[in-house]
Amino acid sequence: MEFFQRFAIPHPSPAIYASMVAIALVSIAIVVGLTYFKKWGYLWHEWFTTVDHKKIGIMYLISALLMLFRGGADAIMMRAQLATPEAKLLDAQHYNEIFTTHGVVMILFMAMPFIFAFMNLIVPLQIGARDVAFPRLNALSFWLFFAGAMLFNISFVIGGSPDAGWTSYFPLAGNDFSTSVGTNYYMLAIQISGIGSLMTGINFCTTILKMRAPGMTLMKMPMFTWSAFIANIIVVFAFPVLTVALLMGTADRLFGANFFTTANGGMDMLWANFFWVWGHPEVYILILPAFGLYSEIISTFSGRNLYGYKSMVWSMVLISLLSFLVWTHHFFTMGQGALTNSIFSITTMAIAVPTGVKIFNWLFTMWKGKIRFTVPMLYSIGFIPLFTIGGVTGVMLAMSAADYQYHNTMFLVAHFHNTIIPGVVFAMLAGLTYYWPKFFGFILNEKIGKLTFWLLTVGFVLAFFPMYITGLDGQARRMYTYSEATGFGPLNMVSFVGAALMAIGFVTIVYNIYYSFKNSPRNIGSDPWDARSLEWATHTPVPEYNFARVPQISSSQTFWDSKKNGHALFKGEIEDIHMPNKSGVPFVMGIIFFIVGFSFVFALWVPAVIALIGVFVCMTLRSFEQDHGYHIHVKEIKETEAKYGEVLNSEDRPRTTTRV
Amino acid sequence: MKIDHAQPLEYSTDQNQLNILGFWIFLGAEIMLFATLFTAYFTLSHRTGSGPTPAEIFEITPVLIETFVLLTSSFTIGLGIHAMRLGRKNAMVSFFAITLLLGLVFLGVEVFEFMHYYHVGATYQTSAFTAALMTTLGTHGGHVTLGLFWGTFIIIQVIKRGLTPQTANKAFIFSLYWHFLDVVWIFIFSFIYLKGMM
Amino acid sequence: MKELFPAKQVMGFVFSLILTVIALLVYYTDMSFAVGMTILLVTAFIQAFLQLVVFMHAGESKEGTAIYTNILYGVIIAVVTVFGSLLILIWDM
Repeated sequence: MEFFQRFAIPHPSPAIYASMVAIALVSIAIVVGLTYFKKWGYLWHEWFTTVDHKKIGIMYLISALLMLFRGGADAIMMRAQLATPEAKLLDAQHYNEIFTTHGVVMILFMAMPFIFAFMNLIVPLQIGARDVAFPRLNALSFWLFFAGAMLFNISFVIGGSPDAGWTSYFPLAGNDFSTSVGTNYYMLAIQISGIGSLMTGINFCTTILKMRAPGMTLMKMPMFTWSAFIANIIVVFAFPVLTVALLMGTADRLFGANFFTTANGGMDMLWANFFWVWGHPEVYILILPAFGLYSEIISTFSGRNLYGYKSMVWSMVLISLLSFLVWTHHFFTMGQGALTNSIFSITTMAIAVPTGVKIFNWLFTMWKGKIRFTVPMLYSIGFIPLFTIGGVTGVMLAMSAADYQYHNTMFLVAHFHNTIIPGVVFAMLAGLTYYWPKFFGFILNEKIGKLTFWLLTVGFVLAFFPMYITGLDGQARRMYTYSEATGFGPLNMVSFVGAALMAIGFVTIVYNIYYSFKNSPRNIGSDPWDARSLEWATHTPVPEYNFARVPQISSSQTFWDSKKNGHALFKGEIEDIHMPNKSGVPFVMGIIFFIVGFSFVFALWVPAVIALIGVFVCMTLRSFEQDHGYHIHVKEIKETEAKYGEVLNSEDRPRTTTRV
Repeated sequence: MKIDHAQPLEYSTDQNQLNILGFWIFLGAEIMLFATLFTAYFTLSHRTGSGPTPAEIFEITPVLIETFVLLTSSFTIGLGIHAMRLGRKNAMVSFFAITLLLGLVFLGVEVFEFMHYYHVGATYQTSAFTAALMTTLGTHGGHVTLGLFWGTFIIIQVIKRGLTPQTANKAFIFSLYWHFLDVVWIFIFSFIYLKGMM
Repeated sequence: MKELFPAKQVMGFVFSLILTVIALLVYYTDMSFAVGMTILLVTAFIQAFLQLVVFMHAGESKEGTAIYTNILYGVIIAVVTVFGSLLILIWDM
């Protein structure tokens, strides 16, 4: 009986029991549904074993949307608890668990897969490649991310959620103060998905460096590809730090090591240090691809080339280096001297400069442009002022002396949500709306989309701006309640109303997908937005091989050149196309890694060792495998192209496009 | 698969070139992995709690053996790649086998070293210093262990399949990995052992 | 016969042995910590560079620039991380 005790939840509540039942029912429903409609084979052949970057991208997208709702549920519960003074909706422990999982899920299991989704979907198309450099590794990256995300998400029904904050500072996260297995879940789940992220980083750096279409020099790459490139460079150099920090945290918790303990020489501050050596670059990993998406969207809907392409590129290169030089600003109050704090104050303010450059680039791109106010453009226009406010409060926080007042208050919470929501989340929704037709063949309804935009924007302002005020007045973050005498009540109620509006906004996205799937016209052509870069030069939906002939590149707006300036994008004859083979091994490895993680969480050493041997066997098999891929033959390509209505043999014919 | 005969075998296909570049980028990540371990070690090396200090447990003899064995193995795998580029399969396989044997000797001495630490009262749980030391050495040793398996698989493939673009590519990438482990060891040798005994 | 003899590798090996012996002076002779650390830093980085160029052929392919940039970038960030952390946690604490 004692053996099973560890799987019980340490702090049960009716809500958690209800979730257990709901999870069980939904799981059964999915299994029964798949069996009834005979979809297992389809799922296995088309999705689980795929190495196609577009399908992997779509799987990332679905995961990100699911996690958005998981993290959103946490958020709305927190705001409901804080809406009135001394509320009893959640107790302190439950509140701790919820703000912890909200942070981890939103950053690592929502925002990360969202940007990986767009990288997977867009980058190979934008550079005119067939796929990424290592398609099978790409599938493995996804399944590792997915295994990590699932492992993290079962924590609240098996063994208990982590409760030491998304930063999981020691000694709070050590065995003495976090006695449940929750923090083990944190260490293992993030480790597994982090390894996946690192592999994605290597994969996309190689892809972008080596697989660009002829004529595309580095300075002719579309801006989203540039941003993805820089973000992946940061991934490659930042994630190993997290890997080591998590390894040490795991060793402390499971093997009695003394890295971050308060006895035998351990140093808890080292964790905070490592966490932010990774954590600050991570912020830029999320925001740079978002900037890339905004650049594409603003340029398309202003009908103009991106203003200051070179300054945009160089500001991102600068950010990639500077992002590794500012980490101390997350713990100015930890006790290091004024010299250190001053150095990192200055570097932090310096990093605001390249970001400011970008803001002006976007503004000048719109200047004298013919702006079309579509949903993606609305998000982009909303982003600029809102994000600037977030940036300015960031510079306030960068002043280390003043930070002693702001540190750990709601002011900080308001600041980082003010950058992440208009910065990253709006970009993801803008990108979702913008690229939806390319991959699903219909446009999301503009009316509902605009409603979503306004709900989210108004909701965002109401939810987070009051926190600046209560934060300056001294409301601490991560406190599960406050007394009426503090006077924080009314403003927190406003925040709750804002959060509720945002929740409605997110639901309208789902409704929009459903509504548009039913009602949107399907004859939209391959270029519904009259766009400028290469991803719009192929068919909709994109064929497996992306481009029948490798495109010839003239500039970063090469598709625009081909439409308006007579640039011949596709030359020469169609040839056989080499494609990578499918494989079920990445999926199997995802499952094995899930078992490894789960066994480590509960210190079940026998299954852990067996599963690790399984990982080793998979790697050995891969080493001996002779995998040459296969070819799609010319005849087949011509048939596919004909199905899209493509007239071949006329090389320099301008492409027909349909506009909305 | 297009093969470009103007290039050495390991670079001769597009996928081969991707693999080599990708592996270099992976080595960039490995630099940061070991840099983080070194950061932890430097921060914690004086924090010995009630356990022994670095100077009390380090011994020069096993460290010297490990260093010269690993340096030599880096040389022999370099000779292996040289032989491979000349198309001399048997010489290449021999040099790779010698390299792996030297790696095995290195690991043996390292195991002996860990047993020595255990006997003088420095276990993984003793102090922050011992944990940082053993995690750093263990991560390097783990890489060597993985390399022994990986190298063996490559030798088997070269013997069975001959020198093809695929096997040459794998062997070349493996040599990069092995040289990199040597570089990491030089830093461990200099900044953990010699600094600790100075 | 000339191209059979791996002159480059032998040179590299001899040089790395010499560097190791120089580094060992730190242990076998009596010198101040500052001098010792300087010697170790110089010998270790030269050795690393030697391995990179002589044995790993870092610059030989079309991607030589990308590879050197990648390694240099990694080394810069690694050095910043090591010394920045030491500054925060030890020297200025």
